[in-house]
Amino acid sequence: MQTIDFIFGIWKPVVEICILWFVFYRVILFFEGTRAFQLLKGIVILVLAFYVFQKLQLNTLNWLLTKLFAIWVIGILIIFQPELRYGLARLGQQHLFYVPPEEELFAIFKDVGSAVVSLSSKKIGALIAFERESGLKTYVESGVYLDTAVSAEIIETIFIPTSPLHDGGLIIQAGRVIAASCLFPLSHRSDLPIKFGMRHRAAIGLTEETDAVVVVVSEETGRISLVVEGEVKAIADKEELIKDLKRLFKKKKTDEELPNL
Amino acid sequence: MKNFLTYNLWFKIISLLLAIVTWLYVNGELSGHNF
Repeated sequence: MQTIDFIFGIWKPVVEICILWFVFYRVILFFEGTRAFQLLKGIVILVLAFYVFQKLQLNTLNWLLTKLFAIWVIGILIIFQPELRYGLARLGQQHLFYVPPEEELFAIFKDVGSAVVSLSSKKIGALIAFERESGLKTYVESGVYLDTAVSAEIIETIFIPTSPLHDGGLIIQAGRVIAASCLFPLSHRSDLPIKFGMRHRAAIGLTEETDAVVVVVSEETGRISLVVEGEVKAIADKEELIKDLKRLFKKKKTDEELPNL
Repeated sequence: MKNFLTYNLWFKIISLLLAIVTWLYVNGELSGHNF
């Protein structure tokens, strides 16, 4: 009898906590990788401060926080309107907890390799970013949302100079071409060789700000480069590119150091 | 299966902690009053 009472007593808190857990987790994922993530951290700190002020009965600070809160809400809605709009639009179409299996990723690298080599031989510029741990949502927002399967043909078509999407970068997220024509932040480094144009600067800039892996094809020389953490590595052929991409994506899993990059 | 559990592990831990703290606060364990 006691056991039944115990079970009846505990199921409500467990269910409530599980639902809350799911909601908080989704909220964090919703904000991750956007400017609003910093804001979320700020809100958590403020809530903690609010609790501490209440406990210590610091009435003036408490009053100030309460009064300002209403103003903050309006301010936040205005400042982060693009993030909120994008997030709400995405809510219904997300792959829940999806991480592509390794074999699938490797098949994608082969497609990207073929496309990149073909573009390089035709001296067509390309900028392809692979998302890893840090989100690229902010950059996805700046381009054209696609969410299509990766294939060499798709990538080549996007970068053909007459294509409306050829300007800017392409983002591959969770094994799908998520957006094209995206704007990446330019690196402000002054030590970069003069031969690096805007495309390389954008690749370096993005990898300085995030842990993304970027493949660049130079329009001028057709040279292929792989950019990670702000470092550029020249790539000789398709096999080398696939090998390096595989290693970079394995690195996150096993934490092995990468010898060449 | 391993991937499912470890993917975004920190976010899962933080959100679980937030959920527990919220529940305790609302149910009076932390705030000192019940709703």
